[in-house]
Amino acid sequence: MSIKDVKELGAKFANAGKGNVPLSVDGAAIRELAGLLRETGLTEIEIEQGGRRIRVARQSASEPVSTAVSVPAVSGPAGFPRQMVSDAPAPDHENSTTITSPMVGTVYVASEPGRPAFVKIGDSVREGATLLVVEAMKTMNPIVSPRAGVVREICVGDAQPVEFGQALIVLS
Amino acid sequence: MFDKILIANRGEIALRINRACKEMGIATVAIHSTADADAMHVRLADESVCVGPPPAAQSYLSIPQIIAACEITGAEAVHPGYGFLSENARFAEIVAEHGMTFIGPRPDHIRLMGDKIAAKQAVATLGIPTVPGSDGAVGSDRDAAEIATRIGYPVLVKAAAGGGGRGMKVARRAEELSLALTTARAEAKTAFADDAVYIEKYLDRPRHVEVQVLADSFGKVLHLGERDCSLQRRHQKLWEEALSPALNATQREHIGGVVTGALTKLGYLGAGTVEFLYEDGEFYFIEMNTRLQVEHPVTEAITGLDIVREQIRIAAESPIELCQEEILFSGHAIECRINAENPFTFQPSPGTITQFHAPGGLGVRFDSAMYTGYRVPPYYDSLAGKLIVHGRNRNECLMRLRRALDEIVVAGIDTTIPLFRQLVREPDLLNGDYHIHWLEHYLAAHGA
Repeated sequence: MSIKDVKELGAKFANAGKGNVPLSVDGAAIRELAGLLRETGLTEIEIEQGGRRIRVARQSASEPVSTAVSVPAVSGPAGFPRQMVSDAPAPDHENSTTITSPMVGTVYVASEPGRPAFVKIGDSVREGATLLVVEAMKTMNPIVSPRAGVVREICVGDAQPVEFGQALIVLS
Repeated sequence: MFDKILIANRGEIALRINRACKEMGIATVAIHSTADADAMHVRLADESVCVGPPPAAQSYLSIPQIIAACEITGAEAVHPGYGFLSENARFAEIVAEHGMTFIGPRPDHIRLMGDKIAAKQAVATLGIPTVPGSDGAVGSDRDAAEIATRIGYPVLVKAAAGGGGRGMKVARRAEELSLALTTARAEAKTAFADDAVYIEKYLDRPRHVEVQVLADSFGKVLHLGERDCSLQRRHQKLWEEALSPALNATQREHIGGVVTGALTKLGYLGAGTVEFLYEDGEFYFIEMNTRLQVEHPVTEAITGLDIVREQIRIAAESPIELCQEEILFSGHAIECRINAENPFTFQPSPGTITQFHAPGGLGVRFDSAMYTGYRVPPYYDSLAGKLIVHGRNRNECLMRLRRALDEIVVAGIDTTIPLFRQLVREPDLLNGDYHIHWLEHYLAAHGA
């Protein structure tokens, strides 16, 4: 349960009100819900009861965590480079697969400019279906689905440069 | 001048190249495998592209991935560093075919010097002295025996496609020749996919002396003095000095002139190093490296020149700004190659560096990609850092080296720093009295 969620709850109750209803945060309920989350492995529980709603959510446990590395004191203006390509792997929930790029190149969402995209969010795809194309050195390399599934997320845009390992599509 | 250069390498040399580019106002692209995502050069470059999984064959040696990385970032030139694709003539050609500049020599010369037999024949016709030998690949064992008898034992059987000290076997007497040939051929076949071997006279206690050159696109060829790299273990250099304690100014001028004359005739371009064995006043060519070398910083220390900067300028068709008479050597420099290895067993020691403190002070340079918390990956060579020390003379340099070695802290992994702390106190090294077998003898004597 993150600080942000607690504040959201507080805000909801603060704005609910008829008159000066004192802010009351039902700590016991929240703790109970948080415990349920842990037990069941769910990521989100929302309960509505008598005009009051509580939602408790957490980040997926399976989200990749980068190893903590201390940045040397001498880095100064260095920081992290402005990446050529953005790097935001989607969390791998149970039953979801993130398809990553096997190569460096430029991704295209359709077979030709102006044609409809291979897939859009919500599409069901079968194993072997072409999802995207990555172009490298003038050759087009189709990215095919490893299994049947539903397209949940398309992480890249048309004509976007991609690097090896970059998230392209999330299938559920 | 280039606006953007892609650095096709990793580790300390990628960082080195990044520094030169930054000082010239050139934007940089770092490429890296997934194992190097947290590398220092990746953090410091302007852009980075992940080109593959950890194995070098699928990342740092993957020509298609590297070319694609150039394309998507708009890099105008590629600096290959050392190792990896730096002496791959085909890569140099492909870079050019894609409209980019390969920062290095012409592909033909890379190819020529990559074939050790052809290289030897070529430099001999250009006036460079060579080791007496078979003058070409040996055919039958009987031919080999005749040649060996003519040259005089002991002889060395060497792989034509080898280099960097690999694929060599000694035969001290006629009886040993057959086995040396068979073993060398077998190793060469495995390591280089080419079992052609040639024979050279084996010198007893030579020094390894190499000459650094720079050649621009206007035909100017300069030498930047020599380096003495005699301290080697299994043909890998550990300690290098500029200038060599064994040469005097006359010899330096002589060999420098021979080398620059030869490379002018050849039409060489870029940086390069001509390597010799030196014994009893005689130089014997062994090979030429058509790339930047690991130990280039000792030459930078005594000349004040930035060799990577010069490489980039040459590649951009700018003329070298100095003439030979303006190249002056000041003081003495020593480099210690610090590896992530056990200092006695030399077992590689990848892992996380829990504490890192680089030495500093006047005349101390530490080229390394390490930082506290860095995980040394197990997939690549074990070079962790290069300590380069300069002094006004060799004695001051040695004192400074001793002091600097005592300051370095690298905790969490093994390094060969303890070995260097011993070596810097060894009388033979203090006297500059060593040769290419010295270190192996020392390690054997000290139970390594």
